[in-house]
Amino acid sequence: MVQFGFYFDQSRCTGCYACSIACKDWHDIQDNRVQWRSVITHERGRYPEVYLSYVSLSCNHCKQPACAAACPASAIMKREQDGIMHVDQEQCLGSQSCSLFCKEACPYDIPQFAQDENAKMQMCTLCTERLAKQKNPVCVDACPMRALDFGLLEELQEKYGQIKEVEGFRYSAETQPSIIFKPRYK
Amino acid sequence: MSEPDSSAKVVITTCPHDCGGRCVLKAHVKDGVIQRIETDDGEEPQLRACVRGRAYRQRVYSPERLKYPMKRTGKRGEGSFERISWDEALETVAHHLTRTIENYGNDAILYIGYSGNTGTFLHNQLAVFRLLTMLGGFTATWGSASFWGSLFSSETTYGSLTAGHSRDDFLNSRLIIMWGWNPAEAVQITNTSWYLARAREKGIKIVAVDPRFTDSAAAFAHQWIPIRPATDTAMLVAMAYVMITEGLHDQEFLDTYTNGFEKFRDYVLGTSDSLPKTPAWAESITGVSAATITTLAREYATLKPAKLLTLGAPGRTAFGEQFHRAAATLAAMSGNIGIYGGEPAGFGLCSVGLQPIAGTGLIARKMPGNLPEGARQRPSVHITKLWDLIIKGTAGGYPADIKMVYITNGNPVNQFMNTNKAVRALSSVESIIVHEQFITPTARFADILLPVNTQFERNDIIRPWQAGPYVIYMNKAIDCLHESKSDLDICTALAEKLGISGYNDLSEDAWLRDFWDAAKDMTYTKPLPDYDAFKAKGVHKIKQAKPAIAFTEQIQSHGRKPFPTPSGKIEIYSQTLEEKNDTNLPPIPTYIEPWEGPRDALTARYPLQLITTHCKRRIHSNMYNVGWLSELEPHVLWINTIDAHKRNIEQGDMIRVFNDRGAITITAKVTERIMPGVVSIDQGAWYSPDQNGVDRGGCVNVLLKDEHSPAGAFCSNSCLVEIEKLKSSTA
Repeated sequence: MVQFGFYFDQSRCTGCYACSIACKDWHDIQDNRVQWRSVITHERGRYPEVYLSYVSLSCNHCKQPACAAACPASAIMKREQDGIMHVDQEQCLGSQSCSLFCKEACPYDIPQFAQDENAKMQMCTLCTERLAKQKNPVCVDACPMRALDFGLLEELQEKYGQIKEVEGFRYSAETQPSIIFKPRYK
Repeated sequence: MSEPDSSAKVVITTCPHDCGGRCVLKAHVKDGVIQRIETDDGEEPQLRACVRGRAYRQRVYSPERLKYPMKRTGKRGEGSFERISWDEALETVAHHLTRTIENYGNDAILYIGYSGNTGTFLHNQLAVFRLLTMLGGFTATWGSASFWGSLFSSETTYGSLTAGHSRDDFLNSRLIIMWGWNPAEAVQITNTSWYLARAREKGIKIVAVDPRFTDSAAAFAHQWIPIRPATDTAMLVAMAYVMITEGLHDQEFLDTYTNGFEKFRDYVLGTSDSLPKTPAWAESITGVSAATITTLAREYATLKPAKLLTLGAPGRTAFGEQFHRAAATLAAMSGNIGIYGGEPAGFGLCSVGLQPIAGTGLIARKMPGNLPEGARQRPSVHITKLWDLIIKGTAGGYPADIKMVYITNGNPVNQFMNTNKAVRALSSVESIIVHEQFITPTARFADILLPVNTQFERNDIIRPWQAGPYVIYMNKAIDCLHESKSDLDICTALAEKLGISGYNDLSEDAWLRDFWDAAKDMTYTKPLPDYDAFKAKGVHKIKQAKPAIAFTEQIQSHGRKPFPTPSGKIEIYSQTLEEKNDTNLPPIPTYIEPWEGPRDALTARYPLQLITTHCKRRIHSNMYNVGWLSELEPHVLWINTIDAHKRNIEQGDMIRVFNDRGAITITAKVTERIMPGVVSIDQGAWYSPDQNGVDRGGCVNVLLKDEHSPAGAFCSNSCLVEIEKLKSSTA
């Protein structure tokens, strides 16, 4: 099966949020709380031995998406041709009519609901409209640090290696997220 | 959600704000509306925009945009206004100007034009500057909230501000020291962080000296050295001690290119004052261990070429110019000047791109009419002293008695020191005119408030702080929103009301062509594309075979070509300063105990050093009110766990921060990422006082002392405060 995915270079990420806001601008997400791509901060250690890292995270377009399995309305689908997750807005029951099984099932808390009445679930579409024009997802082209890449997961693994976990991100063997990493320097 | 529209027109522009970067913004425009914004996906190095540029659409279309001319209806500062016509607004402004000049003379008008638009060729504070000059003059301001210590040091030591290397030169270094410098948030030239990441990947050692473990320290640095704010000069001087006593300094370089090293050496070794500036001496001042200072000194002296990057914060202290003077001296002692991978630790202009162009511009361009040269001579007051000037006037030793304040391109109530004094000052003058895009804390004091357009609504040409290696044509993407106009159009209409002829004899396009024609003769930039081709292309990247570096001619001629200083040498010792005979501005770099530093007696009452930092969500106070950005991270005060526990403060508590100048409330971020004894707040949050005058907005300038360093630096990192937890009932 063809599977698109992301590569994230944590060693380069400064937590600037350009990816996250570029996504909101491109997809015109005016709701300030909805983030298809978010940046997660991880701080640890004791002064002066401190450590800080970021993970930029969107839907990982998992091989075995728990959100789709959990949806009572079968509104969440995985596209055969490229493995991209797709949410049928008509089918989705909405935030007030459903117990948000998708959000609960996702190990990465990805499904997003706006504050509107009975808002439908939304998440990263992998910018399919940009892919159709041979452009990268907008987050990838936004990153001032060139820390994000996108492509066929197999090709990304060939290019960047097989690292599946970094500080702030645990690999789910159950869902098999389509993302690989370069970790922060130790 | 609408699908991207392939029929949208793509228009290239950038931000005109004060971050030093200039990145490509590609506005997709359909039916006169910006639908989305992309960034550079063209030739490398791409000029990719930061989060602020990406969020700009929310700023342009904000419901809070100032839509019409307004006049004040409530008390100054209250923010009550009513809509008036442009004609009434301009009549009123013209009346205030005429009346003030008739009754008190031109000097009674204080013009504060600042960096809200900066680096732009046409649309900036110079529109009002030109108008008031043609009207016979005004009281002007001098100084900068950003870089005056560096500017003074670079002029004194090198005789030049073109003392920087382009960022691609990072890759030629063996050691990079980021001293009080956080480009991951402050930007400081597009792609700076990207080059730092690549330097790190290349194995170049990077050290961060900073009271905070910043995003830059975390991402790029091998080592973090926390240091007490305002004591940086002491550490640099102790590094010089190590280099001298261990014979690690480049004596041949010093003999060939510098002036007065032996006087500095005598100071460092204590020959002149019986106080050797040893690492142990510096440890007691800086909080950095003697061993750490010694190691860094050895590394800096031996890992050549090395960059000591000294861009801003440590120079924004009580004697901030000494930090920059000492850093430049270390660069000379290690022979890191005029070579690839080195850095003079001077002012950052680069010998690439567009330099300021003589003979053009709104000011330099010949002023029509019979304006005498003398009318351009204006009294000038430092930006930290404006409130004091207004309150005290000539009786307080200032050059004017201010009756009218005209403000554009800035938010000085919020961004200049001592906000409570600003409130008192602005309550006392006869009239206040403000041009703005939003009702900022400053705009709330206006009697007449005039709406200004954004860069998406006009054409301009712009360059980054370093001057290159590129230029951007800021193409107009949409018509002016609401009733907004450019500063230039406002002043053109005002000139007509005032009967000033020839204020603006050119169209926007003709002005820009005029600039561009002059730019063609520039030294660094040949060949430039013609104007129309440049406008169509939007961004002109200058191909560099090698990085731009400073002072190569002087170094390559082995000193035969002089530095542009009085002695022709790099002035470690300055005769000019000697002649000033000012102990606070000594002829050699010297550590001087700062006011409101860690050893000030005032620490008995206010034991915490406050530093005021730059954040990723704003450019100073610009973009404070953009929802996409303010949601990213809350506005907080950083406090170390130890200091928080002493005060019973937990993560997320509301706290009160205060000193004799005022009080603010803010949320506490209890963190290990800041040095004990130091707290930090991002500058730029909007002042929002309650009925007791306590600022609920968390504006740092409520707390800062309105004083500048002897050379004119803005001492925004010399401030002592105390903090207490707020009871939830009062929060």
